[in-house]
Amino acid sequence: MAATTSWIRVGWRNIGRNPRRTALTSGGLAVGYFAVVFMTGWTGGINEELIENATSLVGGQIEIHDGEYLPDRSLYDTIGGRDGVDVDALLAAVDSDPGVAASAPRVFAGGLVSSGESTSAVVLLGVDVARETRVSRFLKRLKDGRTPVQGASEFVLGAETARQLAVETGDEVVLVAPGADGSLANGLYTLAGVFETGLTELDNGLAVMPITDLQEFIVLPENRIHEIAVAALKPAEADATATRLEAMLVEFATGIDAAPWTELHPAVVDYVGLSESVHWIILAIVFTIAVFGVANTMLLATFERRREFAVMLALGAPPLAIAGAVVTEALAIGVVSLAAGALFTYPLMIWWHIAPPDLSWLYGSTTLAGVLITPSLRIAYDVSTWFSATAVLLLTTVLAALYPALRAAMISPADTLSGL
Amino acid sequence: MFDARTATRAATVFTALWLATPAPAQIDPVEIIDKVDRLLRGESSRALATMEVVTGNWERTLTMEAWSLGTDYFLVRLLRPKKEAGTATLKSENNIWNYLPKVDRTIKIPASMMGGSWMGSHFTNDDLVKQSRLAEDYDIDLSFDGRDASDVRVWDFKLTPKPDAAVVWGHVEYRVRQNDLMPVWAKFYDEAGSLARSMEFGGFREFDGRLLPSVIHMRPADEPDEHTTIRYEELDFDIDITERFFSLRNLKKHR
Repeated sequence: MAATTSWIRVGWRNIGRNPRRTALTSGGLAVGYFAVVFMTGWTGGINEELIENATSLVGGQIEIHDGEYLPDRSLYDTIGGRDGVDVDALLAAVDSDPGVAASAPRVFAGGLVSSGESTSAVVLLGVDVARETRVSRFLKRLKDGRTPVQGASEFVLGAETARQLAVETGDEVVLVAPGADGSLANGLYTLAGVFETGLTELDNGLAVMPITDLQEFIVLPENRIHEIAVAALKPAEADATATRLEAMLVEFATGIDAAPWTELHPAVVDYVGLSESVHWIILAIVFTIAVFGVANTMLLATFERRREFAVMLALGAPPLAIAGAVVTEALAIGVVSLAAGALFTYPLMIWWHIAPPDLSWLYGSTTLAGVLITPSLRIAYDVSTWFSATAVLLLTTVLAALYPALRAAMISPADTLSGL
Repeated sequence: MFDARTATRAATVFTALWLATPAPAQIDPVEIIDKVDRLLRGESSRALATMEVVTGNWERTLTMEAWSLGTDYFLVRLLRPKKEAGTATLKSENNIWNYLPKVDRTIKIPASMMGGSWMGSHFTNDDLVKQSRLAEDYDIDLSFDGRDASDVRVWDFKLTPKPDAAVVWGHVEYRVRQNDLMPVWAKFYDEAGSLARSMEFGGFREFDGRLLPSVIHMRPADEPDEHTTIRYEELDFDIDITERFFSLRNLKKHR
């Protein structure tokens, strides 16, 4: 046992023989380690934002509808059918689920917004402002003005539609919509504010007003709503929560459908799955390159010392111990690299996680699978990748040392010492 | 209207230039359809009509007064229900405006809403706008010459859009009575060849000395329980009216 320890010590000490070479090799490995942790952290950050924006910009992590509502979104397919439901009781029941953080009722209608010569077709969305801001983000920070007040004939509009209509906060416009009774609903409304999400579908073509105001406008009874948007405490558990909600809501009305975001945004699920598999590809590429770098270093180091190994073998050192010393030396380089890598990788990750650098100088807002992605270097803590990157780094150094170690162990003492 | 336009055209059964020529031995499909077409339209007209709309969710009946001049100008104003009286639509060339008396505002219908329903009916805004002549947009072939189920001699025509015609239908079938050239029905098929909607004509009677269908019944194929029925109560032709009548100012005039 003592003998084994001393061979390990020999290996460890050997990294100090040529400090410059050790530093260069470790530096390369440390940068490789950083690259893996950073790339997976960044794509993880994009995935997090993707899921967040898909599920909390406007949509919820879970959406509750009448089973017939999607995909046609008929005005008449309200939750509970034509009879409607007790909306307050339904919301209270949804809120009581342990997986639910908040819920908000919604009514949708198609309509026109007209000001002067300009008219735009919009989706009219009726919301309970207080509840809505706990579920979605688009009304939280308005570009201009404030959220609409119930009963005051007020509404808010997406920035792009407002620009096209050339209207500003405080302007009076005409809203027109087909009423649920077949009449042509129309009225004068004041623009209370303008929201901007960065997502064209919302900024161009969405007008929002208090839910009871919209119901009154389109002659839809107050107990008839189209959607309940739900914020789940944990997005990852949305599927289970949706299943629970659907089972629970049977007592309110038949045919209620609770869909988790994984069902509403299958493209996002696919994208996240794809980018997670890319993590492994990045890991493999970076460390494959590292294997050759370390192998090169170790081959040089062992070649330089072939006479030393020959003497040791001639004096009776077991070949396996020589090989062990070489592998230990490589492993020692790995440990040093890891320490160096961790020294700058983790502080950077923590910094960027807390304060994501703005990358708008590099690229603008973009959409992935129909979901908004902002230009910021947002880092997700992907602890499992940290561990796997550490393990793969150490494994890399061992793998890279195997061939040099074998060469060292197989040195023929007599030939080498005689200078052949 | 005969794509989307037939509906409109029929809806605007205003003037009929009735050419009572004896049926020739060799019939010319284009000439016949053109005659029916002109019958259902006119140089100028005034009409009083009711429109009954039945959908799966509501039913309503509107009474309206309408004026037309050629194919470019059309003004319709609701008289009943009282709540909506004064609501009016103006078509001038390719544009449509709606006047809303409740808010005293006129709004122009954007291009994106042209396919939308007109006053909640099964007619679209496009039906009002696209009123060109059938013979200009379609190749017309005689597909049937014989007697229908009630032993009336009829012709069936198949109207296929000309390659450059801006029409929404794949093809249109049209039945006309041989003895008086009254339209019986028109069926509109989509690009895939499925029936999209059908229009039946009935209540043939004389208006201002001309025989015309007084009832037009529109039925969407995908909602068999729904329909829109227009009944003409009064119809006057060649009235004294000019383009100046079809102004935004006149659109707003309350009655």
